[in-house]
Amino acid sequence: MSRSILYTSSPLLASRTPVWRSKFIVAALALAFLGLGARATYIQVVSNDFFQRQGQVRFARTLEMPASRGRVLDRNGLILASSVQALSIWAIPEDVERDPPRLQELARLLEMPLSELNKKLEDEDKTFVWLKRQVDEPVAKQIESLKLKGIHQRKEYKRQYPEGEAAAHVVGFTNVEDKGQEGVELAFDKTLAGKPGSRRVIKDRLGSVVESVGETVPPVDGQDLQLSIDSKVQFFAYQKLREAVRVNKAMSGSIVVLDIQSGEVLALANYPSYEPGKRKHLSGAQLRNRALTDTFEPGSTMKPFIAALALEKGLVRPDTQIQTAPGSLTISGSTISDAHPQGLLTVNEIIQKSSNVGTVKLAMQIQPREMWEMYSLVGFGQKPQLPFPGAVSGRLRPHKSWRPIEQATMSYGYGLSASLFQLAQAYSVFARDGQLVPVTLLKAESPVGGMRVLQARHAQSVRNMLHLAAGPGGTAPKAQTMGYSVGGKTGTAHKQEGRGYASKKYRGFFVGLAPVEQPRIVVAVMIDEPTAGRYYGGDVAAPVFSETVQQSLRLLGIQPDMAVKPQIVARSVEESF
Amino acid sequence: MSRLNFMLLMAVLASALYLVSVQYESRRLFADIDKALNEERRLEAERERLLVERRAQARPFRVEQLAKERLHMRPASPAITVYVSEPGAEGAR
Repeated sequence: MSRSILYTSSPLLASRTPVWRSKFIVAALALAFLGLGARATYIQVVSNDFFQRQGQVRFARTLEMPASRGRVLDRNGLILASSVQALSIWAIPEDVERDPPRLQELARLLEMPLSELNKKLEDEDKTFVWLKRQVDEPVAKQIESLKLKGIHQRKEYKRQYPEGEAAAHVVGFTNVEDKGQEGVELAFDKTLAGKPGSRRVIKDRLGSVVESVGETVPPVDGQDLQLSIDSKVQFFAYQKLREAVRVNKAMSGSIVVLDIQSGEVLALANYPSYEPGKRKHLSGAQLRNRALTDTFEPGSTMKPFIAALALEKGLVRPDTQIQTAPGSLTISGSTISDAHPQGLLTVNEIIQKSSNVGTVKLAMQIQPREMWEMYSLVGFGQKPQLPFPGAVSGRLRPHKSWRPIEQATMSYGYGLSASLFQLAQAYSVFARDGQLVPVTLLKAESPVGGMRVLQARHAQSVRNMLHLAAGPGGTAPKAQTMGYSVGGKTGTAHKQEGRGYASKKYRGFFVGLAPVEQPRIVVAVMIDEPTAGRYYGGDVAAPVFSETVQQSLRLLGIQPDMAVKPQIVARSVEESF
Repeated sequence: MSRLNFMLLMAVLASALYLVSVQYESRRLFADIDKALNEERRLEAERERLLVERRAQARPFRVEQLAKERLHMRPASPAITVYVSEPGAEGAR
């Protein structure tokens, strides 16, 4: 016990410092801990959101997941339009190093003068400048290999149109943001457009994704669209049309090919056209889808409808004779005349020879209301049921306001207007034994039912008249093809200019069907302002019809219905003795 | 008692280290998947590009030109075609 030390009383251990010092240390430490605690609370509780956000900004990224636009296909699944990846070049002007030879090289690759490039890079306040959108991949690779600082690339989609100008008006095009601007691209933009998705990820120091956080919104790709267009028929139609427009030195031309069994549009082309991929120097004339947006007075192509109506009302039979001499007729002070005066003509011959007087005599036996109903039923004055931008309805005035002379002129196609497409659809009435076919631009699986307008036997009678018109002694013998019987009606109309008719400006057109016995297609051709001498529809439009029918029916695999003198050399004949 | 505590401590440490390594591994694998997916997308885009290119090479205009100029071919016409009807269709006609 004696060895024990009493700490409390030992003088050696007695502290000479005052007690408050130790208390002060304890208090200071406590304060420090309190400070830490307060800071921790501040970070964890009070402004937790702020710090969470700051952290995320440093390692979390929202990545956009691009969705591709749907493809546009033809009826056989061939690509008419498709999106492929392309690279766009952009720059941060203040980062770009001024290195003249390399900038010169860059300007060459971007296909722009150096001065223009420098101008784009001048504005150093900007942090983002597009240099060129959607360059081809090899070019982008070359630009990358220049290794210029401040020049970056970004992946984008570029629309490609392999069919080029032949299908330009049907397919249309998209703008640089992949939005539809014209044609099917615009009409079906909602179907074709994809919806980009997004996801949130954590990236590591090297920039690779290590974890995905939160919800992922998957991208929805646009749907593919299969059109009724047959790209081969389309191409042939376009090619023949282009030739005809050039040979006849015409302003423009249009052609429509309808499959009358299914109502599908097999081809729809206009000339002049354009390359959908290269739209730098585009004019309005090239862009217009004339077959649907331009209306004109259908002229003589309306006559078969009057003949059909007269048959339907039981007023005449195909062989009823009508006096057309002396080749002119006066109605309320106005004179209607034939180009070549004829005598006594049957109804068949009126259509075959395209007699205005004969047609008017038929029409005068018909009530204006009945005539108006007929025209309306086959689609005149109404928009075609195509979801196409800019499709027009044409003009057909209500029958109550018709004066007799107007009814007379309307019977041979003046005083009303229609687009070439409307005319083609209207002719399906004759081709389908009296039914008007509903048209579609999308591929249909099976034949469709139509709306009955005429009795089948009357439609067949008119078809026979159309056959005569396209035969020897008719107005369009040039419409004939090898192997396939055709029927159709020419039209030649003075062009309207201002309030009256232009004296030397014409439109020649031809609407027809083939084969006559069991029609499969209706083809309508229009040549606008031919100036090479000939302007009759039978001379300028009928040859295009003939060649298009020939190729289209062959491509559709339809057997010729007329005897053809075979030119196949049969060797075995010589050896048969 | 203290021995048990020590062993538990060791176990906790080992498990913690293992967790770190698994986490690392999972991130590495995830990054690999991501790279593979990107590659897939790139190849898909490449395929689309090539499809379009093939189609552009086979457009009717080009085919016709080549057939006419290089191979001296001409379009078929009914005059030089032999039409063969299917045996079944014969009765129906």
